[in-house]
Parts: sequence; C-alpha cells; structure tokens
Amino acid sequence: MTNPMLASMRRDGRLLRGRPWDLAMITWVPLLAVMLLAWMFSAGLPHRLPVAVWDQDHSSLSRQLVRMLEATPGLAVRAQVLNASEAQWELQSMASYAVVQIPPGFAQDVKRGRAADVVLMHNAQLSTHSSLIQRDVRQVVGTLSAGVEMQARAKRGDPRQALAVRMEPVRTSLVSLFNISTNYEQFLAAALIPALLHILGMTAGAWSVGRELRDHTLGEWMDEAANGPPNGQPDGKRHGRPAGAATVLGALAGKLALPWLSLTLCGLLALLWLTVGRGWVVAGSFSWVGLALAALVAVSLAMGALLAALTLSLRTALSGAGLLSAPAFAFSGVGFPLLGMPASARGWAVSMPYTHYARLQLEQFQMGAPIVQSLPTLCSLVLATLVLMLLATAGVMRGLRRPDKWGGR
Amino acid sequence: MMADRPSSRSSFLRAFLDALRAVAGDKGVLMLLIGAPVLYGFFYPWFYSLEVVQRVPVAVVQQDGSGLARQMLRFAEASPRIEVVLTTGDEAEAQQALLRGEVMGYALLPPDLKRDVVRTQKVVVPVYANGAYPLVAKQVQYGFAEAVGTVSAGIELRRLGAAGQSRLQAASSRSPINLQMEALFNPTEGYGSFVVAAVAVLILQQTLLMGGALLVGTWRERGEAAAPVRIWLARLLALCALGWLSGLYYFGWMFVWHDFPRGGNPLGALLLLAVFVPAVAGLGVLLGWWFANRERAMQVLLFTSIPLAFLGGFSWPAEALPTILQWLRWLSPSTAAIQASLRLNQMGAPAQAAAFHLSVLLALALASWLAVLWVGRRRAGAGTAGHIGRPD
Repeated sequence: MTNPMLASMRRDGRLLRGRPWDLAMITWVPLLAVMLLAWMFSAGLPHRLPVAVWDQDHSSLSRQLVRMLEATPGLAVRAQVLNASEAQWELQSMASYAVVQIPPGFAQDVKRGRAADVVLMHNAQLSTHSSLIQRDVRQVVGTLSAGVEMQARAKRGDPRQALAVRMEPVRTSLVSLFNISTNYEQFLAAALIPALLHILGMTAGAWSVGRELRDHTLGEWMDEAANGPPNGQPDGKRHGRPAGAATVLGALAGKLALPWLSLTLCGLLALLWLTVGRGWVVAGSFSWVGLALAALVAVSLAMGALLAALTLSLRTALSGAGLLSAPAFAFSGVGFPLLGMPASARGWAVSMPYTHYARLQLEQFQMGAPIVQSLPTLCSLVLATLVLMLLATAGVMRGLRRPDKWGGR
Repeated sequence: MMADRPSSRSSFLRAFLDALRAVAGDKGVLMLLIGAPVLYGFFYPWFYSLEVVQRVPVAVVQQDGSGLARQMLRFAEASPRIEVVLTTGDEAEAQQALLRGEVMGYALLPPDLKRDVVRTQKVVVPVYANGAYPLVAKQVQYGFAEAVGTVSAGIELRRLGAAGQSRLQAASSRSPINLQMEALFNPTEGYGSFVVAAVAVLILQQTLLMGGALLVGTWRERGEAAAPVRIWLARLLALCALGWLSGLYYFGWMFVWHDFPRGGNPLGALLLLAVFVPAVAGLGVLLGWWFANRERAMQVLLFTSIPLAFLGGFSWPAEALPTILQWLRWLSPSTAAIQASLRLNQMGAPAQAAAFHLSVLLALALASWLAVLWVGRRRAGAGTAGHIGRPD
C-alpha cells in the first residue's frame, strides 16, 4: 500500500534535483527576492528629498526660512532658482520635487502685520514624495509663523505664559495609532513580502501541476502516486490501482508540499528579520501572522494548481496566475483603501485571499488586535485552500480522462 | 546572397512578415503582446477610478454637551473628507469600532470643553487615526483638524476683536505667515493618476518581455532560433511593431480615457517609445534564448513586477534606496522609461529633461540587439537539426 502523498513528494523531490530552474524558483530565487525587498526599504523613511527655493524677497526673514528648510532632515535644498522658467525646469526635469517660493515683499508684509504667503509648488504626480515634502514644509512654515506671532504679541504686551493658549484656543493633537513610527520599512516591506510569496506560490502551483500536463506525464505521476516509484518494475506490470479521488488529492497535496514548506519558510525568515531582527515590537501575535502566512502560501499554491487543472495548459495557467496574483498587492487596500474603490472593484478585491491576509497582518503586526478578531480570516484561508484543492482534484481527474489534451502549450 | 539591394529589401520585408505571422500564429504570444495590455488597460484603473478617498467613516466621542462641542460635531459632519457614523459618549465604544475596522479614527471632545475655552485654559482635542492605513489616516486627521481649527479660529478672532483689533488685522496677527500649497501636474492629487500612469510603463515592459521570451523560447526548443542577422532584425522589428502599438494604446488612448495627466510632450513620448520598446524587445529575446523553454520566462518574470515597481522611483523615492540599488535599477528598462514617461507625458518637460533616461534606454537597446545578433547567429555548418532545446 503506497501513500499517494508521500509517493508524490518523493517523485517531486527526485524531479527537482534534476531541474535546477524549478528548484531555484521555490528556493533561492524567493529567498533572494524577499531579501531584496527587505534591503530596498532598509533605510526606513526617505530623507533629504531635493527641493528648490525661489527667494524673490532676499530679506533676512526669507533667508531664515531657507536656513530652516535646510536644517530639516527630510529636505535638501538642492538649488536656488531665480525666475519662473528656472523653477519650471527644476520641477519638470524632476531635479527637485518641489519649489518653495518666497514672494517679493514677504518680510515687509510680516513687519506691517499683514498676512504673508509662502507658496509650495509640489509635484503631486509623485504622491509619496510630495506628501513627505508637504508635511515638512508645513512644519517649518508653522514654526516660523509661530515665532513671528510670539514676537508681535510680546511687543503688544501679552503675558508670555498665556501666549500659546491665546494663539490657538482649541488645538487638535493628532495621534496616529498603530504605526506610530510611521516607519515605511515596517509598513511596506512587511506587506510586500507576503504579496511576493503570493505570486511565487501561485506560479509554483501552476508550474508544478501544469508541467506534468505539458510533459505528458500526468498519467505517470498518478501511477507513481498510486503504485509507488517505477524503479525496477517493467512497464508492463505497472497497472495497479487506478487513481481514485483520494489518490489524486493525496498526490496533489504531496506535489505542493515541498514548495509550500520552502516558500513558507522563506516568508517566515523575512518577517522575523523585519520584526525581531530589526528590533520592532510586534503589537499582536507573531505566531498568528506566521500561521496566516502558511495558509496564504497554501491557498496560493492551490489556486495555481486549480488554474492548471482547469485549463489543462501550463501557459494559460501561468497567465491566469499573473492576472490574479501580480496586482493583488495593489488592490488589497494597503496602499489605496478598499472604501475608496467602486463597489464592483471592491468585490474583486475582497474575493482575493491576499486582501484578507494583509488585513490580518496589519491587525496583528500594527494594531495589536485580539486574536479572536483574526480567527475568521485564518479559518477562511484554510477553508478556501481545502475547497480549491478539491476543485483541483476534480480538474486533474478530468485531465486524466483526456490524455488527448496533454501536452497543450 | 545580398547581391542586389531590391531583392534583399524584399526578402527583409518577407522575413518581417514571417515573424509577424509567427506571432499571430502563436496564441500564447498573441495573448501576451495584445490581449494582456488591452485587458490591463481596463483592469488596473478600475480599482482607482474614484481617485480619492472621501467620506472616511469616523466616530466622535462627545463628553461635553455644550454648544461649542455641538458646533465642532456639525463642522466635522460637514467635512467631505470624513463621515461621522458613530457619536458616543463612551470612548471604549469608539476604540472597539476602530479595532473592528468600522471606523478609521475618532476625535475626543473632552468634558468641560466649553468651560476651559471660556477660562482661556489650554484645550486639546485628541484625534486618533488608524495609521496602519496612511492615506485614510491623513483624511481623518485633516478632516477633524479643519473642523476643530475653524471653530478655534472663530473663538480667537472674537477674542482679538474684543482686544480692539480690526477683523483683517486680527486674521493676520493670528497667523502671520501662511503656506499656500499648489499641487502641480496631478492637481486633484488622484491616486489612480499617480499609480497607473507609471505602472502602465511596467505593464508594457513585462508583457513584451514575456511575449518575446515565449516566442524565442519556443523557437529554441524546436531548434529554429538561430538565424542570420537579417532575419533577427526582422524578428526584433516585428516584436517592436507590436510593442509600439501597445505603447501608443497606453500613452494615447488609455491616459485619455481615464483622464490621467497626459499629453505634455507627445513628440517626446514617441521618442521614448522609439527607444524603450526596442530595449525591452531585445532583452525579451535574450531571455528567451537563455531559457530555451517556452513557459520559463513567465514563471521567472511574474514576481519581478513588484520589486521593479518600487525600484522605478515613482511610488518610493529612489533617494531612500541603498546606493548599490540606485545603480543596479537602471538595468531594467522600466526604471528609465517610467522616469522619462513621467517627465514627458505627465510633466510636459522638453526632451532634454529626459535625455539621460533616453540614453540609458538607447544603450540597453543597442547592447541587447548586438547580443541577440551575436548569440543568435547561425553557426557555419550547424543546421537547424543541430539545435535541440535543453530538457530543463
């Protein structure tokens, strides 16, 4: 009696040894890719973003503003421009991501007690760059303005202690929960690494099942799963048990087991590095994220396998895997929130497993949500894996009855 | 032989048409070169078609029953950025709603708000926003800050007025220096305009890379790949022709259809396509040659779109990348092409603003074409039968 899962695993282990590319795509390539992502974001928040200054006032106050901009770690005053066309060139050539314009009469307006304007022309096409610059410049101008006002009021004789209160009777204090450091490394890299494994998992699922079809070896694979390895037995004697549903399911599980282990391990190592390795405290439960990651890789592999089993073509399955998995991050609500999408698009987004995984990871890594809240997500990922595996089993069984379809490219 | 030019030209044309026919006869290549760009042109912008996040659900914890607190609530309700879906006196209820994801933030109007304001004591309204979703958190914070700020400014103007300043004076002495923000190039600061305009270039690259590699990988498997220079040029040109079509479809039709910032420098954009597409086609052919396998390129390239997007310098500032990566990223045509496309399509810059990027693409194109001609040359004595695709 052969265990189809073990037999299928042994077969794949043997095949992988002779196929360096197939082995690479579930071992060192994913490892390198997650390391690349972690490395890309290792500087954390970008700093010293180039801006240009267009000082039309040439006063000591405007120079003070420029010095304050220079002293801000997020900004680098790259150039002083002299006229509109130079400012335009700075922006259009993207040498600077913003131009701070100090209009003529700036210091005089301030001295006479009129409101003076500083203009920030920022490149809104580069949303990340420009929002970081906006934040920093707003802070600098706010500081300068508050200083001017304090001086003016002190001159008018307001008591110093009461100044701050008088200036802003009701203040909002903005508390950003759950991502207090607003550290982009944690935020982006931690979300992108599972997204990458989602793609690699679906590709691996489509590849390992699709390749048996492309190579006309679907029957061979099932035969080996049902009756053990072929070595030593003459071909004529190899008509043992035909592959039933249980055998096919076992064979599928065995085939996907090695990529599952390897990709999950890759992801766990990367997430461990980003959190424990970089000294970040996980607000919730790391092991819960680990379990969910294992489930995400499993569901990705099962989706890939189902694509191959449904289309009976390796190439079409890979196309499908690309369509479903490659944009998964973009539509997961991590960058652009789900509530900003039209209802139909949101329907697509919430039917993708990565969307739910991303939510769970945020809940556990950043928000410190109770485990109970993440439980349904994990359960549905596991359930989805089971359903997809059963569907893939049905697909493979149909494929077994249609040897004429094998070898489709 | 290349004896007389007219016949060599017509045989080049024949080779070009043969290559086009090979593409048209291969459903896989056709899907990647025509089907995928068309499909993604609709699919990708769909998710971002509303461009900005409005009416983010929030809660207000009202622990003060005064008219001032009610005024703040009314201003918050009027803000287009946020939508107050929960008003409660119990902060724990708002916290629970936040954890469950029902609201993305809340403001706490503390008890004795009115009394403290009257006594000119310091009053702080804390705004809690879910920072795990930065775009949403920004709307929550600005929405509440505007509502509270408007009320606060009203109080202060009244006070200054009481102290004998005119309204105009009062307004300027309240805030002597103001910052005016001017959003250039993407005036609505739309998310789709920001992401899709750049991702479109990456989609062009990935589909053409995979399509080219699939085609050449198949030829390699069959041992039909090696060819004289003339044939290779015809094949590369055929791939380019399809790449140019998709490129025009994106830069022309798609940007217009979705009303993305566009059309700044149409001639520059054509120049970009003229060097970008050949660079990608050349690299695609090289990959196909190297893999010598029909499906391998898809398997290997699918995941690369994520790192390439973040190396492209549009969603993640290149200034924040490690120095080595700042150099290595130019090896993918997408990096230079995204940068050039932003300058030429979205910012309307003159071509010299993208001169560096266009030169990088030209260099990649020349290098890859020369490499194709060299590795793919038909060796003397080696017929088509001599080449059999590698088993793996």
